[in-house]
Amino acid sequence: MSLFRQIYQYRELLLTNVKKDIRGKYKGSVLGVIWSFLNPLLQVFVYYLVFPYLLGNVIPNYLIYLITGLIPWTFFLSTVTGGTRCIKDNAGIIKKVYFPREILMISQVLSGLVNFYISCLIILIFCLFGGVGISIHVLLVPFIALIQAVLSLGLILILGSIEPYIQDLEFIVQFILQMGFYGTPVIYTITQFQNAGWLLKIIEYNPLTVLLNAYRDCFLYHVWPDMNAILIVLAGSLLLLIIGMMIFRKLERNFAEVL
Amino acid sequence: MEKENAIEVRNMTKSFKIYKDQAKTIKDRLVRAGSKPEIKTVLEDINLDIHKGETVALIGTNGSGKSTLLKLMTKILYPNKGTVSTQGKLTSLLELGAGFHMDFTGRENIYFNASVFGLTRKEIDKRIDRIIEFSELGPNIDEPVRTYSSGMYMRLAFSIAINVDADILLVDEILAVGDQHFQNKCFEKLEELRDSDKTIVIVSHSLDTVQNLCSRAIWVYHGRIQLDGDPAYVIRQYLKQSALDNEENFSKNDGEESHKHAGVIHIDTPHNFESIKAKQILNVSGWAVSTSKKETIEIGFDQSMNPVEKQIARPDVYEVYEEEYAGLIKDDILGFNIQIMVPEDISGDARLTAVLKADGRIIDRKKVRLRVEE
Repeated sequence: MSLFRQIYQYRELLLTNVKKDIRGKYKGSVLGVIWSFLNPLLQVFVYYLVFPYLLGNVIPNYLIYLITGLIPWTFFLSTVTGGTRCIKDNAGIIKKVYFPREILMISQVLSGLVNFYISCLIILIFCLFGGVGISIHVLLVPFIALIQAVLSLGLILILGSIEPYIQDLEFIVQFILQMGFYGTPVIYTITQFQNAGWLLKIIEYNPLTVLLNAYRDCFLYHVWPDMNAILIVLAGSLLLLIIGMMIFRKLERNFAEVL
Repeated sequence: MEKENAIEVRNMTKSFKIYKDQAKTIKDRLVRAGSKPEIKTVLEDINLDIHKGETVALIGTNGSGKSTLLKLMTKILYPNKGTVSTQGKLTSLLELGAGFHMDFTGRENIYFNASVFGLTRKEIDKRIDRIIEFSELGPNIDEPVRTYSSGMYMRLAFSIAINVDADILLVDEILAVGDQHFQNKCFEKLEELRDSDKTIVIVSHSLDTVQNLCSRAIWVYHGRIQLDGDPAYVIRQYLKQSALDNEENFSKNDGEESHKHAGVIHIDTPHNFESIKAKQILNVSGWAVSTSKKETIEIGFDQSMNPVEKQIARPDVYEVYEEEYAGLIKDDILGFNIQIMVPEDISGDARLTAVLKADGRIIDRKKVRLRVEE
């Protein structure tokens, strides 16, 4: 309980950290914050140009399909890569001042979440003008994003607190995320892997598959997502968060010594 | 934790594992798996109460563990055994400028930095005018911090830290910030805080400051608390012990090839690039300190060196080196002043050299460049 009280007391630090994460990264560039939205969009167009040739035109509304997959994936990717390096990158301040270290991790996820919510507006614009339209189902999107945030937070609490001790981790994470991109139906649909055997199983059990499907149900297909699957992911994410907090607590005591 | 205590340390031991090389990759860890780390105990079985409202100094030689103790109080480090607990909001001036972001303005950075100390926006709003005024940055406060000089940077950082209004203030090696005017201002502010109900813990080598500012001094010696009491008494005993230690260290090994003496020599006059005339008498003055009792000083132009004896009292120099060279510089006869003849065969550029030797080895050397006029 005291952790929550501390985080509340340090709420201004959390807030300024989130602001710094969002704004600071692009300060100095001409387009500034716009880059954080432009980047995934440019990626979308590259895939949109190339992949129909590789996959064939099997996915209807492929542009919207790509956007609704790539933007949530970018949220996950940037949070996990940022969160893994986070403690190491803030070595200077960690060695000098006491504050609840969890703040660094939470602000990492929160800035990603804020970015994602703003990006959702872009998705909506594409839906409106791409001929798909918008339905009541989009109201569920913020909650799905919250589940994704909890999942990411649990992950980076573990990864970020191990990283200062074993710095290979960041490269291993990089590699796993690269595989994860192909293990998640971001640019393809799961039906294309119907005959893949164990590979299909991995994709199906991937919690991000559940989340991505849910986003697409809301934005693209205008149906309510599979609530059972979502609740399972939520329960798993909460469990991961608790484990993550415990590991972080244990490892944070020696951060100043190993960094 | 007892109510009147601000800081409580109980049966606390802190040790560090020391590896020859810090292993941070999997390969390193595997390679190292067999070798055991050396465990260095920095603080052993410390018990300490610091009451609310006290101003306490931690003194001791480098490596005695006093800075580690301060870091344990801030919860940057954690003890291996025992506990360190604090009561009330705590700020430390260990981290001047922590959380500064170079691309943001001074004003924005006040918010960043103060939030690191756990202040809320409202609390910062209330203090911001006071902070800006104290920093004397004026209109520069709205410029990005990367445009600041290092002095301005430290001034801003110090102003924030000292205006946080924490109940406990931890200070490491104070008052090395800004010019004399700003240093005086900081000192006054610390005095003001001392006279209020704040608790202050200071680590300092400036024994004068300790004596002027603190009501209690704690001497940390080889990881233990050796003495705890009135600053005047504790400082005296500390200097005595340092003198003994220094004497033992250096006299025992005097004359031995392996032992390295240290020292400083300084030339006050003539100044660099001064003009002199050949075949005239030149006044050379300066001072020297060293760890050796058999030091020799030589001054001269190029090959013609003259031996020099120290005979002038230099209390200003003594004050500075009193702690570092305790027991080795017996009194304050540290200065020299000699007349030497400028040789006739030099012209144009000349170099006056002062050399400090111990055991036949040069331990320090200063050169002054002079212009010889016809």
